[in-house]
Amino acid sequence: MQGKVGYFVGKLVELLVTLLLVSLLVFAAFSIIPGDTARIMLGPDASEAQVNLLRTQLGLDKPLVARYFSWLFGILTFNPGTSYAYNMSVGELISQRLPVTIGMSAIAMVMVVLISYPLAVLSARKPGRLGDQVCSVIGHVLFAIPPYVASLLLILLASSLFSLVTVGNYVAPSDDFSGFVGCLLLPSFAIALPKIAMSFKFLRSSIIEQRASDYVRTSKSHGLSDLKILVRHVLPNSNVSSITIISIILSDILGGSLIVEQVFNLPGLGRLLLSAISRRDFPLLSGIVFYLAFITVLLYFLSDILAAITDPRIRLK
Amino acid sequence: METVKRNKYRSPEASAFYMAGLTLLGIVVITFIISLFWTPYSPDATDASAKLLAPCLEHPFGTDNFGRDVLSRVMAASKYTIYISAAGVAIALILGTVAGIPAGYFGGYIDKGIMLLGNSIMCFPGILLALVAVAVFGASVGNVIWALGLVFAPTFARVCRVGTMEIKELDYITHARVMGVKPYRIMAMHIFPNLVPQLLPATVIGLANMTLFESGMSYLGLGVQPPDASFGKMLSDSQAYIRVAPWLVIFPALMLVFYILGLYFISEGLRVNLAKGGKR
Amino acid sequence: MKRSFIKSAVIASVIAIAAASFAGCTNKAGAANNNAVVGITQEPAIFDPHTVVAAGDREIIFNVYEGLYKYDSKGNLNPCLATDVAISDDASVYTFTIREGVKFHDGSDLDAADVVYSLKRAAGLLDNQDGTALVQELDSIKDVTAVDGGKVAVTLESGNTELLSYFTTGIIPEGYDNCQAAPVGTGPFKFESYNPGQSVVVVKNDNYWQKGLPYLDKVTFKVCADMDAGLTELAAGSIDIFPYLTTDRANQLDKAKYNILSNGSNMVQIFALNNSVEPLNNIKVRQAINYAVSRKDVISVTMDGAGVELTTAMSPAMGSYYDTSLDGTFNQDVEKAKALLAEAGYENGFDITCTVPSSYLIHVNTAVELASELKAVGINMEIKQVDWATWLEKVYTNRQYETTVIALTSDYAPYDVLERYQSTASGNFINYKNDKVDELMGKIPSIADTKEKTELYHQVLKLLTDDACSVYLQDPTTITAVSTRLEGYNVYPMYVQDMSQVKVVGN
Repeated sequence: MQGKVGYFVGKLVELLVTLLLVSLLVFAAFSIIPGDTARIMLGPDASEAQVNLLRTQLGLDKPLVARYFSWLFGILTFNPGTSYAYNMSVGELISQRLPVTIGMSAIAMVMVVLISYPLAVLSARKPGRLGDQVCSVIGHVLFAIPPYVASLLLILLASSLFSLVTVGNYVAPSDDFSGFVGCLLLPSFAIALPKIAMSFKFLRSSIIEQRASDYVRTSKSHGLSDLKILVRHVLPNSNVSSITIISIILSDILGGSLIVEQVFNLPGLGRLLLSAISRRDFPLLSGIVFYLAFITVLLYFLSDILAAITDPRIRLK
Repeated sequence: METVKRNKYRSPEASAFYMAGLTLLGIVVITFIISLFWTPYSPDATDASAKLLAPCLEHPFGTDNFGRDVLSRVMAASKYTIYISAAGVAIALILGTVAGIPAGYFGGYIDKGIMLLGNSIMCFPGILLALVAVAVFGASVGNVIWALGLVFAPTFARVCRVGTMEIKELDYITHARVMGVKPYRIMAMHIFPNLVPQLLPATVIGLANMTLFESGMSYLGLGVQPPDASFGKMLSDSQAYIRVAPWLVIFPALMLVFYILGLYFISEGLRVNLAKGGKR
Repeated sequence: MKRSFIKSAVIASVIAIAAASFAGCTNKAGAANNNAVVGITQEPAIFDPHTVVAAGDREIIFNVYEGLYKYDSKGNLNPCLATDVAISDDASVYTFTIREGVKFHDGSDLDAADVVYSLKRAAGLLDNQDGTALVQELDSIKDVTAVDGGKVAVTLESGNTELLSYFTTGIIPEGYDNCQAAPVGTGPFKFESYNPGQSVVVVKNDNYWQKGLPYLDKVTFKVCADMDAGLTELAAGSIDIFPYLTTDRANQLDKAKYNILSNGSNMVQIFALNNSVEPLNNIKVRQAINYAVSRKDVISVTMDGAGVELTTAMSPAMGSYYDTSLDGTFNQDVEKAKALLAEAGYENGFDITCTVPSSYLIHVNTAVELASELKAVGINMEIKQVDWATWLEKVYTNRQYETTVIALTSDYAPYDVLERYQSTASGNFINYKNDKVDELMGKIPSIADTKEKTELYHQVLKLLTDDACSVYLQDPTTITAVSTRLEGYNVYPMYVQDMSQVKVVGN
């Protein structure tokens, strides 16, 4: 018990220190970006006086350290300031876009689990058979296709084969939730494809490994059916290591959604990020980057904790 | 079959992977080597009178919206794709080993510090970090390489760290330490060579993943700059013409997939060998 | 048995997901309505009529604010919130008669006090301002006063006959200072909402002073990531109007669903040469570059032929102010270009960089074509793509560049087009300096006679061409796709979207 608590506390401290480092990295990176925010906001024909006035209004003339601490305080209290470009609260802007990014990631993740798990279980039943080999080869090919290329192909396919419109019909979740999920399905599928392949490959090999282990053989000799052994022993034990894989996959999916939403013209965080980059909108940019990193850190942290709870070996460390 | 059996570290499965991988990769690498000496046309030469020609005798892969020869551009693109992934992996490899081996060897605070830094880099979804880095320093091939190198360095550092922790417990390392051999010498002369089998698959996978990242960045306009071409850049440029000039999409897409798939197959072969070799 | 159960479960789940992927994405546009959706590619930023500068913002608020004068789709300047203007002989006092019966969106009536407030605010003359004009061109206003009979007198520091076109600046209610968050004007549409990164919505102004207008109940300006995203949305039917297409993209659209309108845009696409860096400070080098370039090929590659070749700083769309005698001055002549380079001492060519804004595909593509053409005369041009922010700062403001490609937009007024070539102008990012041009440009505002003025503009254009100050490429045609369910959309020779005349004719 002592060891367990100590392990969690250690992980928590690590989490906090990591977040601090992340915040420093983010701030440092954006402080050296070239480009005068005030000039960008006002455009090329604005007078120098207009620009100077705005610069003072935005607090851009204060020293760097002061700006870091006021920024850090704001971001930790979930009040990351006002976007220069949109003249709106960064928190509000991000939370407007979050449904698309989170929705897409969640749907993609569900697809990964729903497709890769059954396929891996099937494939691993008789490794080396034709079906297994076909799955493996397809898996490799899927792995090699960038999500945005897959998106382009899916759009082409959907429009020419089914004459379905897949782009530009974004439905806000508050208007029509099923419509919202509907318009995210295809882009989510594009992101999920390579991750399905990754998760399939990983699960398949870990199931094969588990099946060869002694306790499964014992259960088998005790007359338990295949399905029961799978559900009761093989899958839970593969799950231990797949928690880690899933957190990696989630972080990749999050990153992938940033690009794929461009192809499908969805109002997610990726477009907000790109526009923040090109308009040198520091509060917005740092807000997006920090919170995305925050989500990822949290995922890793939770996966460590989950792994520790389910795997006795880690607990002992 | 006989020859395969005689070779201690080769399973038939691995051979099949090697074969497929080397064939696919070979197509891209041969294209690359030829492009160093010869391309049918200058890859950047525009010709307004020969826009969007379908594949024909003069232009086997057709021409693009500038009237540039797609075959020549695909050949030139192989150069950038290979160059960026190789240079990026080299940087990640160097940073990763330099950070990862001492972390695993010394342990303690050095380990904690290095791993903490690595973890905080890994906390950013990779593409996000690369995008921000390029946005900060400007879009150019050099910056893309540095950004990718940085993003991938922690992965290599992890491999090195774990490997080092295992190897340093081996008798001969302990022996060398007792003999008073300097740590950096032990790390360079004894530990690093033993890490190679584990670093090799990571390197090959790294090449493939970097190519994926690079193509994504090029799609967002933050990768290879015009008029230069990489497979990813060609794909994103031709998006608007996917219906009217599909050859603009097909050829670079095929080459991109050949390259990445070839690398994956080879890494798979290496992995199988490592697993089987380890068991013997 | 069990095996087949698992198998069918797998297959079922795969099929279910695939089917759901497609089923979810049905076309939601096309319901009977009296609304229109316009695609825009630039994120809106500024809604204040006096601080707005970016063309992408102007095109939206054109529907919300109105000035004393207003352009129509032919480029004519017509009375709007003023019914007429009396300009003193020395052009130093403009007296406007304010239109009666005009209501602001907030319900208040327009009167002289509103005009005085608005113009003072634009000129930086309010008590809480530091005297710097928000609208730079109105900086020369000395005072604005209401005079008897609903008139407003504007006094200038010195006579200027070229100022009328700047009185198109928006009029807002007296004392109102919240235009950014809640725009209030007199235009045909009322501002309803701005959803960052997604849309700007304006709704019908029921009290609009031009009876019967506008026809539409609601107009949504929808942000599309770029031209290609807009194209896919058009094909999907989720937007009705999309301006600034290229021909090859417009050709991909269904002719039964979209009318394609094309019109001169009155833009000047320029291959800008920084006149103060080596070797571009040498006139022979600049001339050589002009001869090395095929404008026809540039237009072919970037606009699929839809553009007008330019040899000087003004588009032929400017009518008589444009000097036709300059047409064809620089027809492509590679040998002549090489000879000029040799004369200038660069027989082996040189290396140069071209810094282009990555957000504008047409300019990036132009640079690619130019680099290929310049190679033929031995000039090695490297293209450096930068984002819009960096371009504005490095190239436009700090002038740290060698060459760039950009389109210059302006009001439909010759002075606005040429103003930037004065050596001290803030818009003179090519660092052009010619005392004769400065002198002519200084003289023009004091001249009332149109014919004399036209002659002086011609002289300026001639000087710019003689000095080969940069390479003028094309006036790219504005190609706009308009849904066949709409009628009455007019393409302006400037960067605006006028939705007041548009009506729905079918659904």
